[in-house]
Amino acid sequence: MEMLNTEMLQMMRDPLGAPIHPTIVQVLLVATFVLHIFFVTLAVGASCFALWAFWRGSEWQRRLARVAARLAPNAVGLGVVTGIAPLLFVQTIYDPLWYAANTLTGFWSTLFIFVVMGGYSLAYLFYLKGSPQGKLLWASGLSLALLLLAGWIMHVLANTALYPEYWREWYAPNREPDTRGIIFHAYNLPRVTFLLLVSSVLSLGVTLMLFAWYFRQRDDADREYLTQVGQLGKRLALVAAPLLWVTGMMWAFTQGRQFGLHIIMALVFTLMALLLREGFRNLDPLTGGVRALGIWLLSLLGIGTVREVIRATSVARFNYRVADYPFVWDWASVLVFALTSIVGMSVIAYLALVLYDSGKGEVRPWVEKLGRISIGMLGAWLALFILLGLRLYL
Amino acid sequence: MYPIWEGVFVHSAMYVAIVAAFHVLASHLTVAAAWFNLYLERRAVHENRPEFYEYLKRSALGLLVFAYVFGALAGVGIWQTTTAANPRGISTLIHNFVLYWGAEWYMFLIDVIGIIVYYYTLGRVSPRTHLKLAWILALGATGTLAIIVGILSFKLTPGAWLQTGASLDGFYNPTYYPMLAMRFALMFTITAAWACLIASTMPQGTPWREHIIRRASVMGLAGLIVGALVWLFWYYPTLPEHARQVMASRAVPPITYQVIIGGVVLTALGLLLNIIYPRHQRAVIAVGAMGVLFLAIFGAERTREVMRKPDIIAGYMSSNQLVIADIPARGVRAEESRLNQQGVTGQLPFIVPVKAAQDLYDTQKQWKTGKLLVLQQCASCHSVSHQTSIAIGRHELRLRPVDELLASRGATTPQAIEAYLNAIGGFPYMHPVKGTQEERAAMAAYLYSLVSERTAPPTLARR
Repeated sequence: MEMLNTEMLQMMRDPLGAPIHPTIVQVLLVATFVLHIFFVTLAVGASCFALWAFWRGSEWQRRLARVAARLAPNAVGLGVVTGIAPLLFVQTIYDPLWYAANTLTGFWSTLFIFVVMGGYSLAYLFYLKGSPQGKLLWASGLSLALLLLAGWIMHVLANTALYPEYWREWYAPNREPDTRGIIFHAYNLPRVTFLLLVSSVLSLGVTLMLFAWYFRQRDDADREYLTQVGQLGKRLALVAAPLLWVTGMMWAFTQGRQFGLHIIMALVFTLMALLLREGFRNLDPLTGGVRALGIWLLSLLGIGTVREVIRATSVARFNYRVADYPFVWDWASVLVFALTSIVGMSVIAYLALVLYDSGKGEVRPWVEKLGRISIGMLGAWLALFILLGLRLYL
Repeated sequence: MYPIWEGVFVHSAMYVAIVAAFHVLASHLTVAAAWFNLYLERRAVHENRPEFYEYLKRSALGLLVFAYVFGALAGVGIWQTTTAANPRGISTLIHNFVLYWGAEWYMFLIDVIGIIVYYYTLGRVSPRTHLKLAWILALGATGTLAIIVGILSFKLTPGAWLQTGASLDGFYNPTYYPMLAMRFALMFTITAAWACLIASTMPQGTPWREHIIRRASVMGLAGLIVGALVWLFWYYPTLPEHARQVMASRAVPPITYQVIIGGVVLTALGLLLNIIYPRHQRAVIAVGAMGVLFLAIFGAERTREVMRKPDIIAGYMSSNQLVIADIPARGVRAEESRLNQQGVTGQLPFIVPVKAAQDLYDTQKQWKTGKLLVLQQCASCHSVSHQTSIAIGRHELRLRPVDELLASRGATTPQAIEAYLNAIGGFPYMHPVKGTQEERAAMAAYLYSLVSERTAPPTLARR
């Protein structure tokens, strides 16, 4: 059976190979996943908080809930856009896994985007029409439910990909193909609780501390309110850290055990919980926002690495190794990506700095200069990109 | 090869088409709207016309909520739907262009972060700083267009890539520039409908309301005319002869062209009326125009997809996901002859191998194997079961159902169906069936069950 599955995975791999060394793609996959999961969990956390605070919160919490209501749809948008990169990279080196999972769960895979669109639209409806007076809570609740469903679908896809040995049975039990794709074939409740629910509390907590840190610098800052916000963020993070450990242990001793990774996962999650607890405990909630974000992003990098190790271990059972993935150095691809990375990062940095400075009243001169340079680079990049193909006519 | 996802109620290919048409509407809007907003904002700054900011604020909020995020969402949606419907097709694109898409990802980030910053900093930074943001949005959005057109046009005309296997040769292919020019022009037509919608939500008598409606409509009409001219004199003549044949064949139902031409004429008339009578513009008319454009785009995108048939990537991969050409530079070998010699069962994953040759003559096993083979070879373009049908009264909405097509050609016995399968290959939009003679007989057995179910009395119809 092992031999058959090994052969199957090799046959499913795209004959073209990757256009760059597969290990680089693997690193990009993990790194971009960190960004994606941060915004996804932030969207869930912000939605949960807005709903709770409008329902049972005090005056300052309702004030904060209006901010959370504005944050939620923007975080969904950023979660979607940052999710494109890991989606690209996973298909490049794990094509058999990703495509098999998507076809076996085709109905939900297709429905996913409609679910996210529904969740996003309702979140915006709530922000624009409901949040000023705390009305339309149903929209916020339904939006949250849809976002959680979207998270569940992605969780099922990721898990279905981990078990190639069952794919044929799931596709055609007794040789009778099931082409509906409506069954959730594989899931792990501790894993989804860890990644989607508990992590959302931490992403929210860290963002609240960041909020307090940023707005305390303004002359018209309401320090009492910001102190309350920062303290709430810290409290949430400190409560979530041990929960992350508990659900992490459950994940390690269920799915982790299946792949012989439970000891190493237990160790990583214990260290991570200690890092989070110690890191947040002595943090000033009003000034420690940036440090809190750094600690949490580092932890997310650890989580992303654990996910990747599970996937790599699963397919290694069938002699499928990322490092062995066929590839050719397609230098044109590499150049396009590298050049765009430089231009893109410069423009994004400028946009972030304008947003940062706008809250303080004036954009600094060096930021304006960066803007001029970024626009020049972007224009030159676009011209180069369009003109490069004119060689067709030469 | 991967498991086949047929679709539920609606055929998998139609899910792709619906999401793609919506994506085109939203994403094309972001490009030209960014240029139109830049035009207005430049006038606001240089001609001291602060009243334009009211329009820009409304437009930016609408674009933020609808176009940018929904465009990005629908873009991911296309990946999801194509992955479920035709994984090897999308895999080919990914393994050629992943880093081009990676580059486009930066442009997506610029677009989405940019519109958030643009909207939330209106009135909070100096006009000149804000103008810089408008420039970034216009250039970034055009950047996404410049990249995605290379990948889309590659599917129709892979060009020198078929010989060299080099991504750049596939990216800058014969239809790259005409498609880029045509889409860029037509984006302004979509934007005109959008600008009229935004402006018409302002109270009658607002000083700039009619001015913007008229300017946007002139721009939209010009875009439509230029787009049509590019199609007639540049894009269509560049199309491969095969694509033109398919366009003229029954593979594209006549209603598709009626919808496209009707949409173009209605849009042109609407824009013309806006130019003459801008004060009569209403939000409901603008929403109607967006609906008309959606239908026209749906027809045009379907045609673009169909004109490649029988391939998903012209000359390289068939619609049913089999590699049909050698690309020595990338170490790729065509699969067709191997499958004809050795059979499809057991040679492709998920097509369960038969344990013994005589199994193919066991009626029940033959039917099951036949179903697997029909799913793999036919389901990309046809409804091969009732799973992908919606009943409306006595009518069923299905995608080119195989049982109807076979019955209409008089293939109503297993022998006649098998003979028909052997003869396929004479149409410009279909490849010959792959596999051994025994496998074709198994396919005929399954197809016969569909045909007989269609004609049998209801009580005998279900197996």
